[in-house]
Amino acid sequence: MGVPGHRLDRMFNPRTVVVIGDKGPGYMWIHNNLPFKERGGKLYSVQIDPAQIPGIEALGVQNFTSLKDIPEPIDYAVVAVPRQVAPRVLRDLIEVGAAGAAFFTSGFAETGEETGIRLQQELQQLAREANFNLVGPNCMGLYIPKLGVRFSVDAPVADDGRIGFLSQSGTHSIMFSLVCGVLGLHLSRAASFGNAIVLDVADYVEYLAEDDETDVIAMYVEGARDGRRFFETLKAAAKRKPVVVWKGGQTDAGARATMSHTASLATPQAIWDGIMRQVGAITTNSLDETVDVVQALVRVKRPRGKRMALLAQTGGQSVSITDAFAKVGFEVPRFAPETYAKLGEFFNIIGGSYQNPLDMAGTVQGNPEVLARILRIVDEDPNVDGMAMEMSAMFGVRHWKRNPEAFERMLDVLAQHQQRSAKPFLIVMHPVHEEQWLAENRRKFIERGFALYPNFERAAAALARVAGLL
Amino acid sequence: MTFASTLAKARAEGRALLTEVEAKQALAEAGIPVVETLLATSREEAMAVAERLGFPVVLKIVSPDIAHKSDVGGVKLNLPDQEAVGRAWDEIMASVRAAEPNARIEGVSVQRMAKPGIEVIVGMTTDEQFGPVMMFGLGGIMVEVLKDVSFRLVPLEEKDAAEMIDEIRARPILDGVRGQPGADIGALRKLLLDVSRFVESHPEVRELDLNPVFAYPNGAVAVDARLVVATE
Repeated sequence: MGVPGHRLDRMFNPRTVVVIGDKGPGYMWIHNNLPFKERGGKLYSVQIDPAQIPGIEALGVQNFTSLKDIPEPIDYAVVAVPRQVAPRVLRDLIEVGAAGAAFFTSGFAETGEETGIRLQQELQQLAREANFNLVGPNCMGLYIPKLGVRFSVDAPVADDGRIGFLSQSGTHSIMFSLVCGVLGLHLSRAASFGNAIVLDVADYVEYLAEDDETDVIAMYVEGARDGRRFFETLKAAAKRKPVVVWKGGQTDAGARATMSHTASLATPQAIWDGIMRQVGAITTNSLDETVDVVQALVRVKRPRGKRMALLAQTGGQSVSITDAFAKVGFEVPRFAPETYAKLGEFFNIIGGSYQNPLDMAGTVQGNPEVLARILRIVDEDPNVDGMAMEMSAMFGVRHWKRNPEAFERMLDVLAQHQQRSAKPFLIVMHPVHEEQWLAENRRKFIERGFALYPNFERAAAALARVAGLL
Repeated sequence: MTFASTLAKARAEGRALLTEVEAKQALAEAGIPVVETLLATSREEAMAVAERLGFPVVLKIVSPDIAHKSDVGGVKLNLPDQEAVGRAWDEIMASVRAAEPNARIEGVSVQRMAKPGIEVIVGMTTDEQFGPVMMFGLGGIMVEVLKDVSFRLVPLEEKDAAEMIDEIRARPILDGVRGQPGADIGALRKLLLDVSRFVESHPEVRELDLNPVFAYPNGAVAVDARLVVATE
């Protein structure tokens, strides 16, 4: 249950949330957080503009004209007031003893103009002096799906989140949670922390590392204010759970006066890459890569080696799946003799192959029992550390639409395999012309806990990152 | 001279760059293997020191004002005897004075020609955001053209030193290729760890190049050293 005693614990497990300065017609922040109220949390509003208050009350949220009138201790506040008012609101939050607040308000140092910089300094000084947990400003704040605290009205409310996500960018944090949500991957806690003038990425990493509700930490960062602390915190976190770092921003070497050869070679990117290896983080370069690797971390058993058995439906695909896995450093070894012997008893080699990679559609012929037999034999092969299997939407969906039970039976066979096998197992299905069918049937994969990828390259890269090959 | 007094002297003279002799002394003091390099302040002393170290030797100009010694004719390699050392002294002084008439000249450094090995570079620099960082790479073309180097933050753990060596693309060269002898990987790891410790205990050090280090089947030694300190 969170991290008792940590300075962020109250804010990350709020019982009372206050939205300050939300406005119609959208009332974005109240809408974002209505699930918090529905789930039993106390949600209040502070708004002094009489024109805005009826709209707030119409949503069933009690409004106050002063923060000081709120009857409960405030655990988390979202501040959406104009920037010039922000310091005053912060003073009030400090005075009432709020545990933390995210400032959605923007227009600070990111503008580069004098007023913005001055106001940011003022906020920073106030918060630091009071040791106040200020998230942002210029951020989307916290997302705690289990409690219904959200930074987007589209972000899922879910009880089974095990992924922590941290981001300097609000868009990336929302998009990550939505893309994960489609795949049935839910978050435990997330923070979009914008300008990070008080709490920096290291503070959140420290919390998530200790949080027993978070199994995997992923983050989008462009840089860290205190590089040393970032390094130490990440290193400690990666010892406890997988840490995935998506680095944004072209690192600019700039013009540096150097007297040594080493200094001239030490570009920010080269140093960053070294540090990531040193701390044991998995690195990614995009949203999709990050989601892919998180999916593998959550749903795929850890590979013990790099020898893959690849199961494709046709000849062309068996070549492509092999190319994809070999390119990122996996081996596709010959099976052990006993595997060949067992497969040879029933494999249809006309138009197929039971070499690794397997070309198996002609043998399986849509029969789940045959598939189960192949999976069991390959799984037992001592030369195999992991398995990836193609499902063909192009050939299969036509039949599965006619006979949905056959599809379910096949998925059950795969689920039994995944349960029995100690080896990583990935499913790859290119949707081809059946996007809509896949969208309608995706939950069947999710329910069974499958890692499902839309192409060989993404599956291979995800597993390669987990295995430390990329 | 201890590192502390070298540092004080450099700072008093407003120098960030230590001389090769100073740098190697500081490193040797920390137990880091360097080719023994002595300062000679006269022609006669250069000849005597060379005799003591054993031939062939290398002479290099020692001047706080000259960063690139070979550009001003300040380096003479492979000198086989005392007579050659004397001649080299004369030539170095003449060409350095012609190229840099105002440079302060302390003398020349004398060192024995090191037996060739696999050339590697071990370095350190101070990153604005992350502080002291170590670098490892293969010397010569690999580092100049391909920038085939690896980085880790100080302090290094044993795992870090091992990975720094293993992750460069030219790694197979260290195992010896085409009949060439390989490098003592254990000695290189130890060198990285020793330099990391040296840097950690001397925060005044801002940049450091051991370039080249000659790696042998047994052991490794820094042939040249460049050490930059914070001037205050």
